[in-house]
Amino acid sequence: MVAKNNRWARGRGMAASWYGIARTATIDRAGAWAELDDGGTAKIVTGVTEIGEGILTVLAQVAAEELGVRPDDVTIGDNDTARSPEAAHAGATRQTYMIGNSVALACRNAREKLDAELADYWQVDIGLIEAFNGEIWARGTNKRLTMQEAVDLCKKRGVVPVGSGSFTAHGTGLDPVDGTGAPWQAYVFGCQVAEVEVDTVTGEVQVLGVWAVHDVGRAINPRGVEGQIEGGIVQGLGQALMEDYETVDGHTTTHGFAKYILPTSLDIPQINCRLVEDRDPRSPLGAKGIGEPALVPTAPAIMNAIYDAIGVRITSLPATPEKVLAGLAEKRAAAMAAE
Amino acid sequence: MFTYDSYHMPLTLRDALEAVAKLPSGGRVIAGGTDIVPWAREGRAGDVHFPVLVDVSRVDEFQGYDLQGGRVRLNANVVYQDFLDDAVLRANLPCMPHCAIWFADDQIRQQATLAGNLVNASPAADGTPPMLTLNAEVELVRLDSGEIARRTVPLTDFVLGPGKTVLAEDELISAVICDALPGYGGSFQKVGQRRSLVISRVCAAALVKTSADGRVFEDVRLALGGVGPVPARLTDIEDMLRGQPVSAGLIAEASVKPAERVASRSRVEYRRHVVQGFVQAAIEDALAAAGAPRPGQKDREKAHA
Amino acid sequence: MPDQKITLTVNGRKVSRPLNGAPRLLDFLRDELNLTGTKEGCGAGECGTCSVFVDGKLVKSCLMPTLKADGAEIQTIEGLSPVGSDLTPVQKAFHKTGASQCGYCIPGMVMAATSALRENPDADIEEIKERLGGNICRCTGYTKIFEAVEIARDVIAGRLPPVTLEADETSDSFIGANVRRIDAPSKVAGKLKYAGDMVMPDMLHMQVLRSPHAHAKILSIDTSQAEALEGVECVITSADVPGKDGFGVFVHDQPIMAREKVRYVGEAVAAVAAETAQIARRALALIKVEYEELPGIFDAEEAMQPGAPVVHDYAPDNLVKHIPVRKGDVDAGFAEADLIVENTYSTQQVEHAYLEPEAGLAYVDHDGVVTVVSPSQNITHHRHMLSEIIAKPINKVRFIMSAVGGGFGGKEDMIYQGMLALAAMKTERPVRLVFTREESIIASAKRHPARITYKMGLKNDGRITAASLHMISDGGAYGMSTEGVMRKAAILSLGPYDIANSQVDTYGVYTNNTPSGAFRTFGGMQVQFATESHLDICAEKLGLDPFEIRRRNMMRAGSTTHTQQKLETCSIEEVLRVAEEFCRWERGAPTSRGAERRDLNGPDVRQSCTLGARFRMPGDEADEKQEVA
Repeated sequence: MVAKNNRWARGRGMAASWYGIARTATIDRAGAWAELDDGGTAKIVTGVTEIGEGILTVLAQVAAEELGVRPDDVTIGDNDTARSPEAAHAGATRQTYMIGNSVALACRNAREKLDAELADYWQVDIGLIEAFNGEIWARGTNKRLTMQEAVDLCKKRGVVPVGSGSFTAHGTGLDPVDGTGAPWQAYVFGCQVAEVEVDTVTGEVQVLGVWAVHDVGRAINPRGVEGQIEGGIVQGLGQALMEDYETVDGHTTTHGFAKYILPTSLDIPQINCRLVEDRDPRSPLGAKGIGEPALVPTAPAIMNAIYDAIGVRITSLPATPEKVLAGLAEKRAAAMAAE
Repeated sequence: MFTYDSYHMPLTLRDALEAVAKLPSGGRVIAGGTDIVPWAREGRAGDVHFPVLVDVSRVDEFQGYDLQGGRVRLNANVVYQDFLDDAVLRANLPCMPHCAIWFADDQIRQQATLAGNLVNASPAADGTPPMLTLNAEVELVRLDSGEIARRTVPLTDFVLGPGKTVLAEDELISAVICDALPGYGGSFQKVGQRRSLVISRVCAAALVKTSADGRVFEDVRLALGGVGPVPARLTDIEDMLRGQPVSAGLIAEASVKPAERVASRSRVEYRRHVVQGFVQAAIEDALAAAGAPRPGQKDREKAHA
Repeated sequence: MPDQKITLTVNGRKVSRPLNGAPRLLDFLRDELNLTGTKEGCGAGECGTCSVFVDGKLVKSCLMPTLKADGAEIQTIEGLSPVGSDLTPVQKAFHKTGASQCGYCIPGMVMAATSALRENPDADIEEIKERLGGNICRCTGYTKIFEAVEIARDVIAGRLPPVTLEADETSDSFIGANVRRIDAPSKVAGKLKYAGDMVMPDMLHMQVLRSPHAHAKILSIDTSQAEALEGVECVITSADVPGKDGFGVFVHDQPIMAREKVRYVGEAVAAVAAETAQIARRALALIKVEYEELPGIFDAEEAMQPGAPVVHDYAPDNLVKHIPVRKGDVDAGFAEADLIVENTYSTQQVEHAYLEPEAGLAYVDHDGVVTVVSPSQNITHHRHMLSEIIAKPINKVRFIMSAVGGGFGGKEDMIYQGMLALAAMKTERPVRLVFTREESIIASAKRHPARITYKMGLKNDGRITAASLHMISDGGAYGMSTEGVMRKAAILSLGPYDIANSQVDTYGVYTNNTPSGAFRTFGGMQVQFATESHLDICAEKLGLDPFEIRRRNMMRAGSTTHTQQKLETCSIEEVLRVAEEFCRWERGAPTSRGAERRDLNGPDVRQSCTLGARFRMPGDEADEKQEVA
């Protein structure tokens, strides 16, 4: 008999990973405009919007930091090919890296104009001017204005503090014969450990814990980075255990969510994240990215954990309950044959 | 796309039966509606247009339940969530909360009726195995020369095959009537590919009553779903256990046989393996729910005594 | 559809009006009352984006015939925080924890969380998870959502102060700070409009006729009956394309609608724009298409064999792209090895399953600019392609990227925007198209499935002397991102390891299956699944700990990658060190030692899910504990 305590087997597995940031084996570029606006607010214009990863918040943080305003003061628009500079596509783990840096550069450009007017007005060296959180001042002096006053002053002097930025990532193409090339200028690395419980009666695998450690360069918004990792892991878990788009002679048999099985709130592990910040030396922000790399090590970590638990090596995804039980049966048969 | 010309919500049984009697070709009776809307989509039935839909969920006689003479009369609009939320039903139908918690999700359970689940007669229907263990009967009602006529059919006879029941075109289920078994321990086992919104591959339901000291099986009820065209009650296994002392060995022995019954069209080997484990787990969990000591824990119990 | 009247209360206001053809409560709320915070994600009760309260009980409004709600009291996401009132604690908590990402599931999720706490204000985390079990989220991994519900519960119960829900104090920098998402308030309140929520005056509705065949010649298309149907404004086919028809990410091999032949089931063949979606759907049935079925090819390896049916004439070998990567001398490397391990791996096609099905709205503006509003992940490239397809200067084509309800790469392909543009040009009226879930699943690209053959040579100390990887991937009927996916897969295939001798070949192949395209990791996960599985197999044979075998081979600053790029920086050593410590890894070779491990079941794992948290008897837990003791 399967004793109660032997029904469930636990194990752990790990997997490492790496990934390149921004478009592959090509030059990547993105542009942005920035304006310090009335009331000490800011406008950022760039050709991309949120696909859920949190880019608007990241850009608001970057703009606020660079311009000396608050994230709440930043208005971001507008994802429109007729109204905004090219930011190209929302993918390839390029948003923070490409758009983030182009926004940083555009903001610096706008600030240069504002700072030049203030330096002249205050009769201080432009290098002394600093700004944060809605205030701007000259270091080591008592010269200080709110950003609202500073923008007003700048405009009264006849200058609108606007800037533009373009950021480039210098990837190179691959040699068509031997693949030689430098596809990315920034790489990230990751490692995940999974702890699973396998039900030897049903073959079900529950992932109980995942520890995810990822180098992101520099976390602009750590909570947002965690969100990307958690989401990536659950997509990886779905592919590892249940998701399977199936066709028969080109006709799908998984035409809706009743057949195409996605992880629910009851199918997910406790996820524990740690970030490693190995700053990118080639970009103003030092940030890299996390969107895609987050799910790369999940499936192999789970498969390695299943092997640890029951000695069954699943090499064909997904590890459905049936495959797991078939693996156990095979293992038992092999053990009997060996005796 | 799900479309219809007219939608009726009769409030009395007579109005409902008259509407059913007049139902044009292509018309349908619905209760919760949670099966029919997804059915009328691409990949299943495609666009379906119903000339008439008769929604029986507001028929006054179909509301609520009654407890009488050791039986529970579950009127047709009892929904799955009731088995979780209603303390009286939980106490009297000990396997049903375990079944209900595996059924779809909290929201669909607010709409989906037990009666509708039985009528759909899916081989994997969650409600059928536990209702078999509760010796359920289905009360069917129709108009006969203007008079309301009722008949009662044991659930075992009601389901004929996948999607097929003895329900006649002009009939409605008015109630499901089953045993009230307070003091029994109940359990439900199910496996799909995840743990919510699960479409069952195999399921098992059990009810167990033991002697006061928990050492003897006074009664055992077992049923399986997803192992053949219709869910099956395991009376032979029940007979094997009834009156016997509770022991791990006996439970293990009892768990071996049901695997032979697996007659599904696919995944036979998988289902056989699962069935064996499920029968064992169903009995053990039902024993635990009944408050009996777990077999295999006796030594520890003795030590404590 | 019925003109029956319905009377109900919605968010506290009485509504009494004819159904106007809205079959489901969801349609009535969205189309008649313009309450678009309630979303349609699947239409089949499987996702929960449409959850609303009906007489206090949370239900899926896509499963409810409208009249079922007659006389009922409805509360939608808009009713949780009515105009002039603050967000609820649940909504604020979602904002605080970052529980919304794309936001498309979030109105439903907020409703489910609200329901959970209404049903049981003291629900523990297991019960909360169960009560959210009908609502799918594809972005967040649920973790921040759980955190939000727990915080909201504790604030409502007075166990946490309300300030917990407010923004954190500003530090000395906004970089590295957990600034709350600026888009969250609109998402938790259901105010953000996605493309499918947008309407314009005089707007038409599009429906698409799709191929029932995997591979067939189109002999003729007769649209006359469909065009004659009252309410139909136009029917378009590939004959309506004025310019150079073809889109794709790397090769422009896909026409806006099938031209001369269809190459997969679900490919667009014609489209109708009509006054209502129901009329457009009826018109589809009136379009007569004559097909001559062709032999199909459904297996990537078979597609590479001579004599296989050809999917595209320009690629008689059905090859989309082969990417080779070579380094060192693999034969010499294998000869040097103490151990050679070979194995094969396979991964499946995977659906993106963003909760927002594809949707778009196109119009021609007053200056003659053809404008397409859609959740496109690449408006820059789409503009380039569409200007060629409709033969207009690039500044007469405008793409606006609407809020994307999940993309993951699946919305990089211009699979419907061209049809919208053509219909808007033909009718000079705004045209909207909203995919059903089933349509999204058959028509959109998937993650590339892969078959990988792996060979690795190692020394007894675990050092890899050579590795070769051969991958064949089914790209399906059109090129889409296949070339790029093969390239990225080839570059990343052998993992973050410094291997002197390697040989990698990835092949993307045309078949008559649903196309494969861009999907989060772009080929990176398939190959690294193989590499990381393979390394554990090797580690077991060599008696090495999994972390150790990786450390012995890892790249470092100054290493050259498989494509012979010199790395300036490399963090894998640090990442491995942190991971090993963070999870309290017990060292040892991966010999299925789960039963003996002592690092399991720590405080940082959840307990396995056994359903029934809400009716679990109080004694249960104590019993478990006793047993452990």
